[in-house]
Amino acid sequence: MLTVSDVSIAFGGFQALRGVSMVARPGSIVGLVGPNGSGKSTLLNIVSGIYRPDAGKVRLNDKPLPLGRIEAVAARGIGRTFQVPRLAQRLTVLQNMLVGARDQPGERLFDLFLRPGRVAAMEADALARSVAILKRLGLVEKANDYAGNLSGGQQKLLTMGVLLMSDPQVLLLDEPAAGVNPVLIEQQVEFLRSLRDEGRAIVLIEHNMEMISNVCDVVYVLDAGAVIAEGTPAEIRDNAEVIQSYLGQPA
Amino acid sequence: MIDFAIYALTLVAIWSVMAISLNIQFGMTGLVNFGQILPFAIGAYAAAIGVQYDLPWWVGAVAGLVAAPIAGILVILPAGRSSQDYWALITLGAGEIFRLTMLNVPSIAGGADGVTVSRLPDRTLAAGLAVALCVVAYAVAQQIGNGPFGRMLRVIREDETLAATLGRSPMSFRMRVTVVSWAMAGVAGVLYAHVIGYVAPTSFLVTDTFLVWTAVILGGPGRNIGVVIGAAILILMSVSTRFLAEWSGLPSDLVANLRLAVFGLILVLMFLFRPAGLFPETKRVQNVDGL
Ligand SMILES: Nc1ncnc2c1ncn2[C@@H]1O[C@H](COP(=O)(O)OP(=O)(O)O)[C@@H](O)[C@H]1O
Ligand SMILES: [Mg+2]
Repeated sequence: MLTVSDVSIAFGGFQALRGVSMVARPGSIVGLVGPNGSGKSTLLNIVSGIYRPDAGKVRLNDKPLPLGRIEAVAARGIGRTFQVPRLAQRLTVLQNMLVGARDQPGERLFDLFLRPGRVAAMEADALARSVAILKRLGLVEKANDYAGNLSGGQQKLLTMGVLLMSDPQVLLLDEPAAGVNPVLIEQQVEFLRSLRDEGRAIVLIEHNMEMISNVCDVVYVLDAGAVIAEGTPAEIRDNAEVIQSYLGQPA
Repeated sequence: MIDFAIYALTLVAIWSVMAISLNIQFGMTGLVNFGQILPFAIGAYAAAIGVQYDLPWWVGAVAGLVAAPIAGILVILPAGRSSQDYWALITLGAGEIFRLTMLNVPSIAGGADGVTVSRLPDRTLAAGLAVALCVVAYAVAQQIGNGPFGRMLRVIREDETLAATLGRSPMSFRMRVTVVSWAMAGVAGVLYAHVIGYVAPTSFLVTDTFLVWTAVILGGPGRNIGVVIGAAILILMSVSTRFLAEWSGLPSDLVANLRLAVFGLILVLMFLFRPAGLFPETKRVQNVDGL
């Protein structure tokens, strides 16, 4: 279980988050909604170690996460995607996938030079897993294209695939559906559900309220860096404050 | 003529090792090392100092092999997480500090006059050793570049935050890259000292780093065979301009400066028209049918 308690951060004089708390349980999808600039991405950046909060704690299964240390957080089984997809543009789709696999002997010089058998076995295993995931994402046709040549929507799907290669307990997804075409969104929704059913905890930032109502078990609404409402999607829809601050705004 | 060809081959092989070393750092990892000549100079001076103390040649060779990567770690460590931003300046500075120290402290290795080093007894042997070293460096770079290690290096080159969110420590990869590539350059420096038979600060100028950079940019950053060809082109050009100087009677200073200008021109033309080099990094295509 991922627990965020009373997290605050300011950039210069600007208070981006004020005492935000959030819980994401295994086998559930948590929606994070709110107007642009309300601090959603900043919250994910804190959980994943990109920013260090001024105050507050983040725990995974009751053990504190190392604040501000990206690779140490990732090693604890927390994976994330970014609002603007991050990929190695000049590597192929397949190579980007392979990079997602953890504990590769071929990334240690000793094994790379002296245990080619182990390296090859791991590569074959990672290749098979990559292809299986690419098929699930409908990207297998593109396996040998440069990642930089994919459309924005395909890049978003690919970043999810790379993330899955690392088999994370917690997935932090920053607007995975933005810019993805509606047919693919359907697929993505199915995909998110199956990941949830595998027992993973998912935090999903999304503007599309239909998708949020469709997949989320709990929704948090952020406004100006504070949580103004939390509850089931149905509760959130009926919450007057939310309607005013966010949903009522013309799109 | 044959002598000249063997000598040229020796130089091409030695500078190819330098280009391969920089290629692992810059071409694959994106590390901007403007002090590439430093590990080479350390290797050469290790050989020279060993000879000065009447030690067998291999003591100097081992010292060069060990000292160069240690220097690399010492240079990269203080840069810490922000190494990408400061690496270029720090390496440039470190190379110059080493050279100026050798220049101004004659008690170490003769100052500006330099010191003589035992020369390899026979030119063919020198060429053979240089080619052997080049083949080993190439094989190491290929094994690194084509495997999972090199794949992660390229991720770090493209986006180090991505590498970190995938649970990798970019710093750890940079350290290992530095150790391997500086060791290579160090051994190249040891061999250079024994080929030339003389070590002095004028052999390790910023312009020599510039030569290695031009070779990598010309050949194709990220492509080992490309940077070897780049080095071969530049070294053959350099040695033939020395002939040109003798034959035409132009002052050798002028010819040396012209050579630098030509390297600069090559760089500009490559950046403008062929930024991926003569032999660009290839796309790795893997068969996924039947999986
Ligand atoms: N590194 C930063 N430096 C300064 N301001 C930042 C930084 N990151 C985020 N902000 C500010 O914090 C606020 C919240 O941003 P963000 O979390 O990206 O919002 P969103 O909810 O749209 O994802 C915005 O006003 C943004 O400008
Ligand atoms: Mg955002």
